[in-house]
Amino acid sequence: MVEFRNVTKRYPNGTLALKGVNLRVNKGEFVFIIGSSGSGKSTLLKLILKEEDPTEGEVIVNGYRISTMKRKQIPYLRRSLGVVFQDFRLLPNKTVYENVAFAMQVVEAMPREIRRQVPMALALVGLSRKANALPGQLSGGEQQRVALARAIVNNPSLLIADEPTGNLDPETSWEIMRLLEEINQRGTTVLVATHEKSIVDAMKKRVIAINKGEVVRDQQKGLYKNEDKNSQIRV
Amino acid sequence: MKIRTARYVFKEGFLNAYRNRLMSLASIAIVIASLIIFGIFLLVTANLNYNLENLKEEQPEMQVFCYPEMDDAQIDNVEKAIEKDSRIKEYRKVGKTEAFSKVKNEIFKGKEYLLEDLDESIMPVSFIIKLEDPEDSEAVVKKFKAMSEVKNVTIASEAIEFITKITYWVPLVSGVLLIILLVISMFIIANSIKLTVFARRREINIMKYIGATDWFIRWPFIVEGVIIGLLGAAIAFVLTWLGYDAIEQKSSVALVKVGLNIIKLMKFDEIAAVTSLIFGITGTAVGAVGSFFSIRKYLKV
Repeated sequence: MVEFRNVTKRYPNGTLALKGVNLRVNKGEFVFIIGSSGSGKSTLLKLILKEEDPTEGEVIVNGYRISTMKRKQIPYLRRSLGVVFQDFRLLPNKTVYENVAFAMQVVEAMPREIRRQVPMALALVGLSRKANALPGQLSGGEQQRVALARAIVNNPSLLIADEPTGNLDPETSWEIMRLLEEINQRGTTVLVATHEKSIVDAMKKRVIAINKGEVVRDQQKGLYKNEDKNSQIRV
Repeated sequence: MKIRTARYVFKEGFLNAYRNRLMSLASIAIVIASLIIFGIFLLVTANLNYNLENLKEEQPEMQVFCYPEMDDAQIDNVEKAIEKDSRIKEYRKVGKTEAFSKVKNEIFKGKEYLLEDLDESIMPVSFIIKLEDPEDSEAVVKKFKAMSEVKNVTIASEAIEFITKITYWVPLVSGVLLIILLVISMFIIANSIKLTVFARRREINIMKYIGATDWFIRWPFIVEGVIIGLLGAAIAFVLTWLGYDAIEQKSSVALVKVGLNIIKLMKFDEIAAVTSLIFGITGTAVGAVGSFFSIRKYLKV
């Protein structure tokens, strides 16, 4: 699904964002990527999305080799992924329905498919009744749910969430996490970058901790802080 | 492209142009101004060529004069040389008798007594020559002047030189001008579309993440640019048409008054098709290229 082989990323300004990262996420997993800001976890996600190319090593996502793939193929890589951001990134002048349908429109889906899939995605995130609302009329949690619906409407095999609860209060954060878990249970691999301790601790999922560009911990059913002495380091 | 995508692209393109209408109008105005200036040069060039063709038909004559004392064999030499020269379209031999009577009747009319003691033997045999292309005149003059039998070659070369020069420079100047104007128009259109692109950068960014291809994102903006370019071209065409028609109608009277009735302006109908085609292509190209460049930066995600 996602594989990093000895990946180093150095930005043109000299910043070393990732150092010899090795990791592998298999189909159907739910993985937290944790680390303070500046740890390199955003760079890790950028490499998966091919916003950036690795300086050394190899990143393979859904069968695409990030460093050697052609620019023309990027859209097709991204169609196999769903992405959710901290700031939702909804289109303010489009309704909830249109925002979700837009994701299918840009990949030139059949109108019939759009009419079938969009209500299903909205139902999954529990926003069927707000289909005609504009994002500005929704709460933060609801907006993030729209973003989730948009991310999964094309049935991606991998969902990437970059600080999905960063702008939300604890209770709403939980709603989003429960939805991510549900999406995961339906078979989608989920990758969540976060630094929210309580959530990571409560959900007991695989945790990949990154510090100063290096994977310092990769633990099944992990906590935010490494308190488990029997932690299993997988590299 | 799928039909539903084309529909999306055109709808978005028109919407963009409308939402950004102030800049769209400014861009259209620039395209109009550029194309009208270009149109003036285009029409001047067309008319110069048209009149040059006419003048070539009535081309000023070149005349090769042999020495009067040359015998028939020597004159035959010159005639053969003229005959063999492929640059010469036609020629006519002017014999001594004809030359003498012409001088008597035209130059010494009423004073024929001055020529009493003379006869046609003093007159040279000459050849009146028409060239295929006036540009060759210099070379032809040189060639015949070099022949020992030839005394002199006269030519109305200045007029030909002048027209030839103009027909060389006008397209050149208008070409350079066209490029400058096109670059300016392209720059203005690019800036106008940059505003739209900037206003929609979030949307573009989201589209990139969702997996839209570059062309899917680019097309609506290109449509917007082409709309601006084509509207500008259409208006410029109508204005050029009206302006030219007015000038053309007045010119025929004015030119006769100043005695320049050899010069004729073409009817607009004769050049309308070419002009509209050039305007249309230019407008489309300027709009498309302008928007292509304005969106490039935002596609790099």
